[in-house]
Amino acid sequence: MNEVLQITRANWNLFLDSLLTEMDIYVPVDNGYSIEYEIYASNLEGVVYNRPVPVSPLKSFFLPVKENVVIHRKIHNKRLIIGVPSCDLAGLALLDEIYLGEPFVDSAYRENRDQTVLIGTDCHEIRENCHCTSYGIEPYPESNADVTLAAIEDKMIITLKSEKGSALFDRCRRSFPVGEPGEAILKLVQQKRKETKDRLAEQNQHLPGYAATGNLIRKSGDEIWIRHSSTCVSCGACATICPTCTCFLLIDRPDFEKVRQVDACQYPGFERIAAGEDPLRQKYVRFRNRYMCKYVWKPETFKSTACTGCGRCIDCCIGSISKNKIFMEMAANS
Amino acid sequence: MPAQENMYKPLRARVEKVIPESPAIKSFVLLPEREFAFRTGEFIELTVNGCGEAPFTPSSSPLEKKKIEVTVMKAGYVTEKIHELQPGEVVGIRGPFGRGYPLERFYGKEVVILGGGCGFAPIRSLLYNLIAEKDKFDKVTLCYGAKTPEDCIYKPFVDELRKVEKFEVLRSVDKADEGWEEREGVVTVLLDDIKVNITNSVAVVCGPPIMMKFGTFKLLEMGYPEHDIFLSMEKNMSCGLGKCGHCMMGKYYVCKDGPVFTYEEIKDQPDIWK
Repeated sequence: MNEVLQITRANWNLFLDSLLTEMDIYVPVDNGYSIEYEIYASNLEGVVYNRPVPVSPLKSFFLPVKENVVIHRKIHNKRLIIGVPSCDLAGLALLDEIYLGEPFVDSAYRENRDQTVLIGTDCHEIRENCHCTSYGIEPYPESNADVTLAAIEDKMIITLKSEKGSALFDRCRRSFPVGEPGEAILKLVQQKRKETKDRLAEQNQHLPGYAATGNLIRKSGDEIWIRHSSTCVSCGACATICPTCTCFLLIDRPDFEKVRQVDACQYPGFERIAAGEDPLRQKYVRFRNRYMCKYVWKPETFKSTACTGCGRCIDCCIGSISKNKIFMEMAANS
Repeated sequence: MPAQENMYKPLRARVEKVIPESPAIKSFVLLPEREFAFRTGEFIELTVNGCGEAPFTPSSSPLEKKKIEVTVMKAGYVTEKIHELQPGEVVGIRGPFGRGYPLERFYGKEVVILGGGCGFAPIRSLLYNLIAEKDKFDKVTLCYGAKTPEDCIYKPFVDELRKVEKFEVLRSVDKADEGWEEREGVVTVLLDDIKVNITNSVAVVCGPPIMMKFGTFKLLEMGYPEHDIFLSMEKNMSCGLGKCGHCMMGKYYVCKDGPVFTYEEIKDQPDIWK
């Protein structure tokens, strides 16, 4: 594995066209306001590779907003998702631990994963809240992608990372001219990676690392959480848009069917029990709970990182809450 | 281990009998469509078709595979719907889930059980198991408390239990009436009445959160080590699989890692008594 190929952008598009009859293809599209996954079609405009990050996290392909988990409706087409940033691929590792971990493998999730081929992309730009490298995640795909992609000038540099990815590109090779990239272009790929890392390091120079943040949260008192949660409206957007928040609600339907629907610990009543006790009754406790979960509790139980530094929760917060500012304040006062 | 392949899919079970236990508590004898095995202390999710589901630890003997009994206090939407169930109606059950009572750690010891209100349900299942294996235990003492005499559940079972060799039953109510001949006061007062060799004893606690809290503190005060106090931590268990997050108690998923924990395991987790 890890074979590196090169194909022109024009042929890449023709290759995607040739796959349209047998799979749904999602590509990142710049709509002028944000980047979002769109269904690919021939001559689709606005497709952008190597720019972070699609608004929807990758998890939304595997844990849809609502899904019947008793009568699981099969996906008819296979899916090819192109342009997945490394923060989302790192988040997928945690989802896999939770949903595919023995002894309870979630069959709906398993099928959604099996039906999907993932093409990860290097990030050649950064956004103001990107901070993957602060948490030990490179701004280019290292794991969980079947294929990785870097668009350099008019060429697509492709690295095959899994058998699923190799099988896909065997077909590409049969129909289109595929070559090996030269040393100069590979050097350019590495150079762009370094530039992105340098920019992230500079942007997040005062942000404490993942384990250090856990320690700061452990030692924090109530005051900082009460103060910073004052503008939180418990909308749950931070959890909905997070690539690693996976909590859900089971909703009952007639004939003993159950629908899994995304849920969030930020909603009042999330942990309430029948007699009325609720460990998360107070807003600041709910607010803190999400960070305790990500930086303190999950690391004690799971191998994968529970915050991958995508920055979406900061982008989306209508209360203008930045977790990074909170953690920098904690670090400065420690 | 779980009986179903798809753990979200309930097994159908017919309500065979409804037993009123107190003004707010009923027991339901269920006949699953196939045999259903569980270890005492493990829990099930009980589905009211199209309405919702809630977690309950069976109150019946784990040695009985054809029937399962749950005892339900009317406390919210789903439990209200359960209370409306009539014999012949069909419900769904999922599970069993979680980690039950580690009976092998009780062997050769005195078992002191502190129960309150509807918390008698998991305890009755445990007691059936202890009765079946009574040669393996030194002595079993049940301390049970309820609000009033009419809130005391399982009266026929208590009468039978009092006849079993090695088993002792003490009861208290918060507010006695004229006919009450046992203790008055919160359930922990019963612990003052028992004679127990703490160095060779384990304690089991199950009941409402406030009772769990003060019961545990009392046992610690009596000298029980933290690893010999076994608590049934009933939280908002939903999926039962350690995935949905509703029952998180610090690093633990109560549905998967519990519901039975030693106090030592959970004492440093947040808000354990809520």
